[in-house]
Amino acid sequence: MGLTGYLLLAAALFSLGVFGVVTRRNAIGVLASVELMANAVNLNLVAFSRHHAGPTGQVFALFSIALTVAEVVVGLALVLLLFRAKGDVRIELASELKD
Amino acid sequence: MSPLYTALLCTFLPLAAALVLVLVSPLRRAGLAAGLFSVATALIAFGGAVTLLLERWSGAATPVRETVRWLPHAGLGGGAHARAVIELGVQIDGISATMLVVVTAVAACVQIFSLGYMAGEPKPDFGRYFTWQSLFLFSMNSLVVAPNLLQLFLGWELVGLVSYLLIGYWWSKPSAARAAMKAFWMTKLADMGLILALLVLFVDTGSFDWTVTTSAAGAVTLLLFFAVMGKSAQFPLHVWLPDAMEGPTPVSALLHAATMVAAGVFLVVRAFPLFEQAPTTGLVMAYVGAFTALFAAVIAVVQTDIKKVLAYSTCSQLGYMVAALGAGSQVGGFFHLTTHACFKALLFLAAGSIIHGVHSNELSHMGGLWSRMRVTSVAFLVGALALAGVPGLAGFFSKDLILEHVLERGLWAPLGALLVAAFLTAFYMGRVTLVALFGRPSAHAEHAHEGGVSLLAPLVVLAVPAAGVGWLGAKLSGLYAAPVHFHLSPVGMVATGLALAGLGLAYWMFGAPQGGGRLRAAFAPIGRLARSGAVNARFAWGYGVLGGVSSIFAWFDRYVIDGLMNGLGYATLALGARLRGLQTGRAQDYVYVLVAAMLGVGAYGAFWSR
Amino acid sequence: MSGEQVGFWVVALAILGAGRQVVTSRNLVHTVLWLAVTLANTAVAFVMLEATFLAAVQVLLYTGGVLTLMLFGVMLTTRDTGFVDVRSPLHRGFAGGVLAAAVMALVSASILRTPLPEARVTAPTTEALGASFLTEHVLAFEALSLLLLSAVIGAVVIARRRDAGDPREERGPAIRPRAPRAAGGAVRLGAPEAE
Repeated sequence: MGLTGYLLLAAALFSLGVFGVVTRRNAIGVLASVELMANAVNLNLVAFSRHHAGPTGQVFALFSIALTVAEVVVGLALVLLLFRAKGDVRIELASELKD
Repeated sequence: MSPLYTALLCTFLPLAAALVLVLVSPLRRAGLAAGLFSVATALIAFGGAVTLLLERWSGAATPVRETVRWLPHAGLGGGAHARAVIELGVQIDGISATMLVVVTAVAACVQIFSLGYMAGEPKPDFGRYFTWQSLFLFSMNSLVVAPNLLQLFLGWELVGLVSYLLIGYWWSKPSAARAAMKAFWMTKLADMGLILALLVLFVDTGSFDWTVTTSAAGAVTLLLFFAVMGKSAQFPLHVWLPDAMEGPTPVSALLHAATMVAAGVFLVVRAFPLFEQAPTTGLVMAYVGAFTALFAAVIAVVQTDIKKVLAYSTCSQLGYMVAALGAGSQVGGFFHLTTHACFKALLFLAAGSIIHGVHSNELSHMGGLWSRMRVTSVAFLVGALALAGVPGLAGFFSKDLILEHVLERGLWAPLGALLVAAFLTAFYMGRVTLVALFGRPSAHAEHAHEGGVSLLAPLVVLAVPAAGVGWLGAKLSGLYAAPVHFHLSPVGMVATGLALAGLGLAYWMFGAPQGGGRLRAAFAPIGRLARSGAVNARFAWGYGVLGGVSSIFAWFDRYVIDGLMNGLGYATLALGARLRGLQTGRAQDYVYVLVAAMLGVGAYGAFWSR
Repeated sequence: MSGEQVGFWVVALAILGAGRQVVTSRNLVHTVLWLAVTLANTAVAFVMLEATFLAAVQVLLYTGGVLTLMLFGVMLTTRDTGFVDVRSPLHRGFAGGVLAAAVMALVSASILRTPLPEARVTAPTTEALGASFLTEHVLAFEALSLLLLSAVIGAVVIARRRDAGDPREERGPAIRPRAPRAAGGAVRLGAPEAE
């Protein structure tokens, strides 16, 4: 299967992630959707790596995975904080940006 | 030390001081120690500036311009931008060396004065005050030594920020907080002009230098002038300056009289090659400047707050400078900036000393200070006479130069306005002097007394240049232009005559029967002339009209101009409230808009831009 | 249709199907588990792209580490509401669908318009990958370790429960609990039916 197929698959996965990020109401659900988007990007990187010489694509995918892990850790810490402050993790409760 | 390093020292030492005060909180909270630290760095910076000026003074040094590449060309399209390099650096020539000395000298004096004036403040606040003073010195110096408009813009914004911080120094006072906000937004509005001017200039020439030739000189200079109107308080963007008097008086002396408000004038002096390419902008400047000079002088006549009088006077004198620059006299504008910085800083500091002694800003609470606060009174008198344009003192020379240039260009209406303003300037300064120093002492003034040596020393030091800097005109102008040798011109004589008449009128109106014996004797002939029967009735009638006009102008300024500006503000707020509905505070909505916008940009880039 | 193509379609359908469940499932535990399925199938895709080391990392880090963490998050925060996410109002779902479709349209249009190399080159070995990490990208590698460390510390600092004895508590928490507002206004796009 060629590069185009993988890229289209990644695009579809990314779009699903976008949908989740703007529609999920639970903060953890949003976080999971963000993971989908990050995963789509990794898939892109690996697919490109397969069609270009050199390890750079995979190296970047590894960096990206590690970064995503860090992001999840901090994100979940924020979710816990939100839970502690509001007693729920519905994301619209965090609307302090408004004021 | 090479000029480059001296200039860098002058600029970055105050920044280092500010950073130390920010980071080392025990020092900041120590109060006096923080003040002394800041004063020490200001004095060193002053020493460096003097070195730079003296090098130029001896005629040995050539202008220094050292830059480093900051950003490579932005690569916007081709043409002029292809070679564009954004540079940072310093430019030391006659203009910046003179300005550096003015700024650091006034700053050092003001800081020393503040040691005494602010002594009653809580220690942490005292430290905060000096942190900002140091930050201001850095900002102003980086503006002064800037080699191009972009770097000047950085300094320009920084001084605006520090101005905001210092006006709102007593932030718990609502009026001070409001005044700080007003000054900030008003100058920000004007700064849009500067940034747009930068954009237009860059698009046209691919450079931020003021030496370039541009086909868009008219647009660039008009936009620059808009920024100048805000910073240098020109009608109708001047309304923030009187309110800025909510800040501590030394701040008014440094920022809102001597240096920061003069930054606008300095910008025009710097970018003069650009302004020379746009004669129309010059005309606009001459008219706006002259009108501001007259308008503010008229308002100053009826103010009862000593700082407000001085604030409107600053507006008026800045109008003089702008008019001079508009008439094509770089020397006239810059020389008046120099002399004005000296005597207006002196006046403000003396007023600060008076306020410190009397505990009030109101003129009616003063009076009879000549016998109680002799040093301050002499300093104030020197400043007032220098401002009025009494022959031999600083203001006389620069004002004469300006008027001569305006006459030369045949700008009759501005010339008339400036002459009337000269008369009014002498009149209102005479009024303040006579009422505050020689008037009948009020209850407040009974116990007035001089402050400590830190209050008086700066007055004595500043009184020297306020009296004498005018004599250096030829030398100072020779540093960056053909030396202008002073000669009393006919129009200068008219102006001087008008100034003396203004002083005489003030004496006739407010001359006190008590106090100031010898001085009164000196003024007596003018007073007698004024009092002599025939002119008496007409003068009284004249003053009635003048007072009426002045009050109308003041009312117009307070409610119409200010109201218009406030209305603009409220309209923006109302619009903001409408738009607020879009701002739900939900991160998801923001993400939605973000992604949609990215899609738009991406789609444009991918499909339409080719 | 070659065997590889069949494999691709199977994996692609698995990834997208599971992904759909991730963004729509009402039960949060299910969401996280479906995420695990998506990620594991991506690992399979990695294997098909001959990135075996990455596939291993994907399974270990994501499916092992991140998902466990997320499950913990779900258990801790939704124990009172029974793992159920409230449903988005219809118009929000519709708007999200439009946006996602637009993203898909733009990205796939761009992909299809771009001439791409279809020929494969030799995939880098794990050895080459390791060498690249420690030579060419060593600076980024070290910076990453620093980032992970700071993320760990940051997470602890953010989520740490501030006890009454903590002097920092005097300054007030970063986010103050606020009394729920009266209903209405533009904030609440949907009625909070879970209350």
